[in-house]
Amino acid sequence: MAGSKRKKKRNLFSPIYLTLVLLILYLPILMVVVYSFNAGRTISAWQGFSTNWYTRLFSNGLMKDALVNSLVLAGLSAALSGGIGTLGAIGISRSHFKFKGAVESLATLPMMIPELVLGMAYLALFTGVGVKLGMGALVLTHTTFCVPYVFINVKSRLVGMDPAIEEAARDLGAKPLRVLFDITLPLIMPAVISGMMLAAAMSLDDVVISFFVTSAETTTLPLKIYTGLRSGGTPEINALSTLMLAAIFIFVGLSQLIKAKSDKMTSPR
Amino acid sequence: MTHKQQKERAQERRNTLFFAPMAVLAVLLVALPLIYVLGMSLTANDGSGFTLANYKALLRADYLLVFANSLKLAFYTTAVSLLIGYPFGYCMARAPRGWKSLLMMLVIIPFWTSALVRIFGWKILLQGNGLINTVLKSLGLIDKSIKFLGSYGSVLLAMVYCMISFMILPCHSAVDKMDFTLVEASRDLGAKPWRAFLDVTLPLTLPGIMAGCVLVFVPSVGIFYLSDIMGGGLVLVGNLIRDQLLKVRDWHTGSAMSVLLVVLTAGIYLIYRRCGGDDLGVM
Amino acid sequence: MKKLICLLLMLACLFTCAIAETVNAKDEAVLNIFTWEGYIDYSTVIEPFEKETGIKVNYATFASNEEMFEKLSAVNGGEYDIILASDYILNAAREAGLMQKFDASVVTNFGNLNPDFTSKFFDPANEYVVPYVSGIPLIVYDPAVVEIEIDGFEDLWDPSLKDTLGLIDDARVTIGMVLLSMGQSMNTTDEAVLAEAAKKLEALKENIHVLEYENLHNYVVSGDIGAAYTFTPFVALALDANPDLKVVWPKEGLGFGIDGLFIPVNAPHAGNANRFLEYMLRPEVAAVCAEWQYYCTPNAAALDVIGDWYTARSEFMGIFDRMNDAEFVLNLPAADEQKFQDIWTTFKLGL
Repeated sequence: MAGSKRKKKRNLFSPIYLTLVLLILYLPILMVVVYSFNAGRTISAWQGFSTNWYTRLFSNGLMKDALVNSLVLAGLSAALSGGIGTLGAIGISRSHFKFKGAVESLATLPMMIPELVLGMAYLALFTGVGVKLGMGALVLTHTTFCVPYVFINVKSRLVGMDPAIEEAARDLGAKPLRVLFDITLPLIMPAVISGMMLAAAMSLDDVVISFFVTSAETTTLPLKIYTGLRSGGTPEINALSTLMLAAIFIFVGLSQLIKAKSDKMTSPR
Repeated sequence: MTHKQQKERAQERRNTLFFAPMAVLAVLLVALPLIYVLGMSLTANDGSGFTLANYKALLRADYLLVFANSLKLAFYTTAVSLLIGYPFGYCMARAPRGWKSLLMMLVIIPFWTSALVRIFGWKILLQGNGLINTVLKSLGLIDKSIKFLGSYGSVLLAMVYCMISFMILPCHSAVDKMDFTLVEASRDLGAKPWRAFLDVTLPLTLPGIMAGCVLVFVPSVGIFYLSDIMGGGLVLVGNLIRDQLLKVRDWHTGSAMSVLLVVLTAGIYLIYRRCGGDDLGVM
Repeated sequence: MKKLICLLLMLACLFTCAIAETVNAKDEAVLNIFTWEGYIDYSTVIEPFEKETGIKVNYATFASNEEMFEKLSAVNGGEYDIILASDYILNAAREAGLMQKFDASVVTNFGNLNPDFTSKFFDPANEYVVPYVSGIPLIVYDPAVVEIEIDGFEDLWDPSLKDTLGLIDDARVTIGMVLLSMGQSMNTTDEAVLAEAAKKLEALKENIHVLEYENLHNYVVSGDIGAAYTFTPFVALALDANPDLKVVWPKEGLGFGIDGLFIPVNAPHAGNANRFLEYMLRPEVAAVCAEWQYYCTPNAAALDVIGDWYTARSEFMGIFDRMNDAEFVLNLPAADEQKFQDIWTTFKLGL
């Protein structure tokens, strides 16, 4: 009796709180969407409805290039940091290597260095050694600062995992790589995916490091947004963000739908 | 026995191979730049060799105040993020199964758009003729617009807004992992909800809280552009480093400042790891 | 193991791609522009240029002059073909040997420029820089909020303006404004004068509500502040949104700025860059640029073809009456620059 009463109370508070915070999380984004239809040139004063900024956007080839670059960059660095961070986490949590603590600390250090300093140091190093600036350098540096997010994620998942499962598989004669792909990876997959999602978010948000390591030919969307907002900005950027959001929502919605379907099929729980 | 040893050695080799890419990346793209910055901070502007002068130049009352400013803002950001993020993570973890992944998505999606754009969204909301002021006015709660922008509170809001997912995710993970029968047990033994929370839930989810605090605090110390955009006029370490590197064009003092900042944040991280918070479990 | 090897191979490929030598691109029909986002409009300026010449334009962006300078120095004045930046950094780039002279046989229409905007400190002999736009920071205020009549910097210290000012978050510009109000040069390095300016700046503290580098017009329009000292385009944008605002050309003196185009010393496509300079100097192109950028145009010929609405607006045309009062913010040696930064830091810490 008391238990059900407790449950009822929580059920009321919880959805209200979740909705409230999510509302606050999305309210400013809604403003961005609304102001992408502003007829005026400022992003703060409403001067009538217009789709003018979308027309401009669609005719701007430079924006399209930047969008493609950003998606390629985010995809590549999420994938690479996903692979490197996951393997690193597996290796480190299983290994007794002497310097593993040092490697671990070093790999998570990019979170602590001011990005301006990191960016300028990369620029000096790359130009000093002769590394060509551009997409390659972008992917390398983005992967570097994305790895910690995947690594930390996956490692915490591994720590909570029962080692007996892997041992059992091995005792049953499974080859080590088979254990990795058939047992370990599926078990840590949620952490890998969420880590890679964070990594993509970090990559899609980076401006400072990107600025210093990119070339004249390669520009990214966040870079354009940042330099545009700082020099006055136009609702064109809001329009662009709106389109990106729409794309993300469609992508996420579809993947949720697919996931829900496959969940229904595989786990009757 | 020897066979087993051999097997173990092979296993060990494989494990080392596994984290080799990460080690290579860490050495080439983290250690090297760091050594470069460290070297810069320890050499003189005129190229006359080793010196500590760049660090001595930092021993100024106003610079110390700037560092204090940054730490203070990072502390408030962490505290507010915890106060809002922990209950959110908690509720998320207790939500029905089917909702969990959707909620997770909803938390992460905003972070796939530029932070700057989202902060401009806040500016639109908060400005004198913005939605919040308009609503408050029409409700008759105020009759003159509140000047949110430019205040310390608005800077804090922007900071929390940009960092909160790093608090929500580990808190959610900690609550999600927790065995709730323990709470039920203490309640059945007559503990008030508040007591049960303090004595059972809080200690059990402390690792998640700690992880969240580190993940929010550490990057917060170095962030400065949010305060600039909100018009706060604060001087933070990031501002100082930027002006030193770009305006004064003194790489050596700027590097010394950066090294100090890294040492400070890395120190906090180390203390955290000493305290047993080994895994910064995000999920 | 296969996947692991794949991953390592991928990483190795990336490294080699990154390290691989640049292909010699001298004859490519490409032009690499480096400036602020949106500073040269795509559909009205760049696209017609691409159509006319068959040259593909890449548009890279920076957030501040200083960042541009760091990048350009690091790549040794290469990588980019056209850079558009502000006067003081143009001077620094020229002094650092990062510019090359434009080809006067291609850029035949330099004479379109008003001589008032050429032969400046950043390019005394007009060999390197093609001025693009010019601006003057002005005071814009809302008479519905501000009770007094503002006609100069001195009025900003009026006690009735408590908590209603927005100033530019930049040591040189805002301390320079204080110096102008004292009848001094914005570029003084005299310790005593600077100390006095610091004191005077301190007295302004009560009146300041917000400090931001750009976008101060938003605050005036939304009513968060009553008056702002801000750059030309922001003044114009504020007036667009609220025509009742008043613009002040401060009587004590004016700041002055010119943004100009130049070709970096090791530009990979210098030939295309020269053609672009010629294109940008054409009256109709310069007119379109000024109209879109909301800046004053230094192109005298452009004023003949520019829209009447433009010439009717004092924010853009007032400059011609006050040419002699206007002073540039010059780039100073690091030690002097540090003095300004220190005053600014101390001031902001006390806010």
